[in-house]
Amino acid sequence: MKKNMPYSTPDGYFDELKDRLTVVPELKSRINLTPYLALAASFMLAMLAGNYILMKTTASQPASDDEIVEYLIDSGMTLAQLEDEVYNY
Amino acid sequence: MIEQERFFNDLVRQYSEQLYWHVRGIVGSHEDADDLMQEIFIKAWNALPRFRGDSDPFTWLWRIATNESISFLRKARVRAALSFSRIDAEAERVSDPNPFFDGDKAMRALRKAIATLPDKQRLVFTMRYYEELSYEQISEITGTSVGALKTSYHIAYEKVKDFLSTSD
Repeated sequence: MKKNMPYSTPDGYFDELKDRLTVVPELKSRINLTPYLALAASFMLAMLAGNYILMKTTASQPASDDEIVEYLIDSGMTLAQLEDEVYNY
Repeated sequence: MIEQERFFNDLVRQYSEQLYWHVRGIVGSHEDADDLMQEIFIKAWNALPRFRGDSDPFTWLWRIATNESISFLRKARVRAALSFSRIDAEAERVSDPNPFFDGDKAMRALRKAIATLPDKQRLVFTMRYYEELSYEQISEITGTSVGALKTSYHIAYEKVKDFLSTSD
């Protein structure tokens, strides 16, 4: 450092810092399982979310009156056939 | 791997003290600088496989340290904003009396002035004024052009001067 900053450090700080930093390679070389666990957890979450969405979208819901009317019109049923169906049910 | 470890340890031995002062000049607090030193050298270790031997290790390391320090300052400001602290509270934080502040009143005022600068200007000012790095070195570290750095330093210098003259 060229110009003095108005700061100091604890006694022996830089020796202690060097000792601490030279351990970094040893710490980082241990196998890190975290990324693999994170990947597995993401996959599980995606599976669960997909399953939930699938269940929700295919669940049967009662048709509304409008939907029934539209269905009958689309089916090409005549009024006579419809009355026949309704009264003979 | 052994070669890499040896190279890394050489970096620690050669540069850690000087790098600490670079970081301390940006963040102000000893505790913050100490935390950052650990983060910086972990990042350096992880980046070593990609480090090209023909690059200057000083510039490479300083670039990592500078990016980490600026990122730290940004997060500190966001946290301060979320807790409704005043922006100049940070100036108090970095220059208030603490066990590791040696300076007299003038130095304290100067540090306060520097703490009010925007991050990039503070960075350029610290590297130029305290570390006496050349503009070319600062340019390599920050990726900013020499011309822009000179402008930034000039603006920072004027701001510091104004602050000191109005705070008397």
